[in-house]
Amino acid sequence: VRNFFFGGIHPAFHKEHTQRKSIAPLELMPEQVVIPLSTDGADMALPAVRPGDRVQVGQPIALGQGLTDSVHASVSGRVVAIEARPHPWGGRVPAIVIQNDGQNTPWPHRPAPLEAKQVELELLLGRVREAGITDMGDGADATAETLRQAAGKIDTLIVNAAECEPYITADHRLLLEHGDEILRCSGILARCLKVEQAVLVTAGDKLNAVESLERLLSRRPSKVQLRTVRARYPLGAEKQIVQTVTGREIPLGKTALDVKCLVVNVATVYAIYQCLFEGLALTHRAVTVAGGAVAHPRNLWVPIGTPLRYLLEATGGLKEQPRLILTGGPMMGTPLKDLEAPVVKNTNALICLTGEENRQTTEESTCIRCGKCVTACPMHLIPVFISRAVRQNEPHRLPALHPEDCMECGCCSYSCPARIPLLELVRQGREILAKGGQR
Amino acid sequence: MESTRSFRLPPQVGQPTTTASMMSDVLVALLPALAMGVFFFGPRVLVLTALSVGSCMLFERLYRRLTGQSDTLRDLSACVTGLLLAMTLPPTAAYWAPVLGAAFAIVVVKQLYGGLGKNFMNPALAGRMLLATFPALMTSWSDPLDWVPLWGVDAVSAATPMSFLHGDALPPHTMGQLLLGHQGGCLGEVSAFMLLLGGLYLMLRRVISFRIPAAYLGTVALLTLISAPPEVSPPAWMAAQLLSGGLMLGAFFLATDPATSPVTPRGQLLFGVGCGLLTVLLRYYSSYPEGVGWAILTMNCCVWLLDRAGMPRRFGAAPLSVLREYRAQAKASLAEIKFIKPQLGSSHDGRAPGEAHLDQIRAMARPALCLTAFVVVTALAIQGVHQYTELSTAQAETQGHQDLLSQVMPQAVSRSEAPYRAPGALDIQMAFSETNELIGYCVEVQSQGFRGVITLDVGVDLNGQVTGVAVVDHQETAGVGTEAMTPAALQRYVGRSGSLQTSGANAVDAVAGATATSHAITVGVDRALAIVANLDTEDLVEYLDGEV
Repeated sequence: VRNFFFGGIHPAFHKEHTQRKSIAPLELMPEQVVIPLSTDGADMALPAVRPGDRVQVGQPIALGQGLTDSVHASVSGRVVAIEARPHPWGGRVPAIVIQNDGQNTPWPHRPAPLEAKQVELELLLGRVREAGITDMGDGADATAETLRQAAGKIDTLIVNAAECEPYITADHRLLLEHGDEILRCSGILARCLKVEQAVLVTAGDKLNAVESLERLLSRRPSKVQLRTVRARYPLGAEKQIVQTVTGREIPLGKTALDVKCLVVNVATVYAIYQCLFEGLALTHRAVTVAGGAVAHPRNLWVPIGTPLRYLLEATGGLKEQPRLILTGGPMMGTPLKDLEAPVVKNTNALICLTGEENRQTTEESTCIRCGKCVTACPMHLIPVFISRAVRQNEPHRLPALHPEDCMECGCCSYSCPARIPLLELVRQGREILAKGGQR
Repeated sequence: MESTRSFRLPPQVGQPTTTASMMSDVLVALLPALAMGVFFFGPRVLVLTALSVGSCMLFERLYRRLTGQSDTLRDLSACVTGLLLAMTLPPTAAYWAPVLGAAFAIVVVKQLYGGLGKNFMNPALAGRMLLATFPALMTSWSDPLDWVPLWGVDAVSAATPMSFLHGDALPPHTMGQLLLGHQGGCLGEVSAFMLLLGGLYLMLRRVISFRIPAAYLGTVALLTLISAPPEVSPPAWMAAQLLSGGLMLGAFFLATDPATSPVTPRGQLLFGVGCGLLTVLLRYYSSYPEGVGWAILTMNCCVWLLDRAGMPRRFGAAPLSVLREYRAQAKASLAEIKFIKPQLGSSHDGRAPGEAHLDQIRAMARPALCLTAFVVVTALAIQGVHQYTELSTAQAETQGHQDLLSQVMPQAVSRSEAPYRAPGALDIQMAFSETNELIGYCVEVQSQGFRGVITLDVGVDLNGQVTGVAVVDHQETAGVGTEAMTPAALQRYVGRSGSLQTSGANAVDAVAGATATSHAITVGVDRALAIVANLDTEDLVEYLDGEV
């Protein structure tokens, strides 16, 4: 029985601009990199260097505590300051500013590369923790902690290469260029976590990557299965990908672990590979720079902490005034307030949308009850009723409509022909419900 | 940076479809069927359509302007309503019909409820059904390919496939004719093929979902397949039912109106099934041959209920968990019911047990009584109306007619109202043989008997010969006057023709003891013969038809 998730949308994916461009290193290295002490702006790592210290590539400069991961220098140079700097998610977050000396001297004390046979769970967890790897998809959880909790409890490991957001092709290129490494690392993860099946999920819009992976698998059989699903947003969301692979639904308040699954982003898997077999900490990542306003859209291999301005310069600048600049995809991404904000560990794209692509010019009109939001909602909600209950101030209707189940994928707002901000109204509904029915 | 000023809530992209583009898709999808209407019924169709669309837009504009609301012509919904209304009109409809329908549809059904998306009934269909209350207006059909003149439409009527199906017979049209639209009917509903094409277009453009049309047509197909009349092959019956009448138009364009159909997928399926069920029931058992319109309007009123019934299962909840939850709740509330020993006499607070509840009931007694009275009166009224329209009464009447027919014209198997009127005749009916050929007329006449009026039914064949006489009603004395009404006495008139006399040449002898009654019957038969002989079939054409 093939499982699938209900709802979803088929937006214009616009991946053709960047999916044939290999991941290129940044030509013009930034003069300064700004490495935030926290990826999500919540828990801070403890700085281990002081202004004036010299640092090298891969050297830990702040130590993780609890759920936070360590932070590593992504360029070599001198620490200039430790101060609050703009964060791509808005606001200012304490960050370590490093003046780049352009040498890229590697840190001499980095751990030695391992052999595949040596890797055991404890070693794996230790290395991953040392390398400061976080979830490089939409979350920002410490991967070591996630793996530790999952060990022995799960029966399915899902490597998420769905990349269902429009414009973004960074994971696609990773699959294509480092498919072998990803497959090997997935196999090792599956072995360490003692899972019954490991599934690498890709979408049908990455057929060349799928082909190359199939070729690799036929050459060297692996425990990892390849599963290609028709491209549909939000396939990459945790609940939907678990449902697609196993048919299990994650109820509200539960995680994938409760249904014996673990979802790991493909970029995270590649980072784990690098830390295990190349001894590298998480200092660089692939970022797609795309959107109608970008002159030469491409994929870049960027040191973490590079101000986003440098990414735009590397792609030939803007060919027209963008209406909106986002980090992440246009469905769930965050509008950027300041181009000085740096690339953080889960920045997978920088998207500059023109007014035409943004489509925010059409005015909101009345709901005609077309039901498109209902058939688009992957969480089985009825956004049209929730929005009506919120707008007409009928909080007593909300409990039966379960706005708290919403995972903010934005399918409802996307599909609404009347341009009603359904997602925002559902969020309001959830807040009203959380406050006990009071506005 | 500019983006700081202008960013909006996520998602930052949207699909290109807007309400207006969905409406224009509906317009495009209706055009092929309209073109077939023009092909079959002539340019009058275009005039009716233009009138309907124009007046819908005018009323929308006027209402919004007069009530000081924003102008909503640009969303094209008034256009769609106008076009749909036109497509449900007969090609012979008077020119004021679409204007009246549009006024009702736009002002009463749509705008009074708050405009687009807030109406609970399909405006076009409601407008059409208002017009259907003028039977003469909406029941004259014209033949396909027989172009209706622009002015001075005669009240003509061709048989539509629906009238055959209503009489439990297959229409004479071939499947190809039904599919392409070579049949009588409303101007937009005739071509099932073009409507299917339009529906397919709408589904591919994601304007409508497949759920409502599929459930609707599927239900009709299934029900007609299992309930075909014995002499008709079920597949042919099913195909004829699906392809004729307004079913295709209703299933693809009227039932799928987003504002008046459920939003939940399961609700949409239920909606389609309900429409199909009601359509088949109305087609079989109502006095009208067509039931699509009423079926959809009825289901429109149930949408709120279907939306609740179709609530999707919560993500992560096990299948049927709702039922389980409900059962647990019911169990819990049943467990709360306890039997307690009633304490007779006054308790310590001076109130008997249950007194509070009784007070509650007393307070509610007055409105409850009013309600009961109202319900009883309504029920009686409905029962009264029902008595007149009772199906069994109608059947008994039909049976009586059939008995009478076999008495007055034994060769005939059926008869129908003749389109003629003549002075002196209460009723003229045409009698048909088994091969559906006209073989004579049955004339109901009256003449003065001994004690009162005698009503006679006289059968006259095409040669002017009496085929039988039956007394329908009389006030003659039993045993005296009735002697002239025995079968043997009446049999003597059979075969007579020409002008009958009470005495002399071509006379029928009076029955002894009942002379006055005999004379009255003879006079009546003579009058019937004279009426049939003078029937001018060219003149006085006045068609009467009960179908809507």
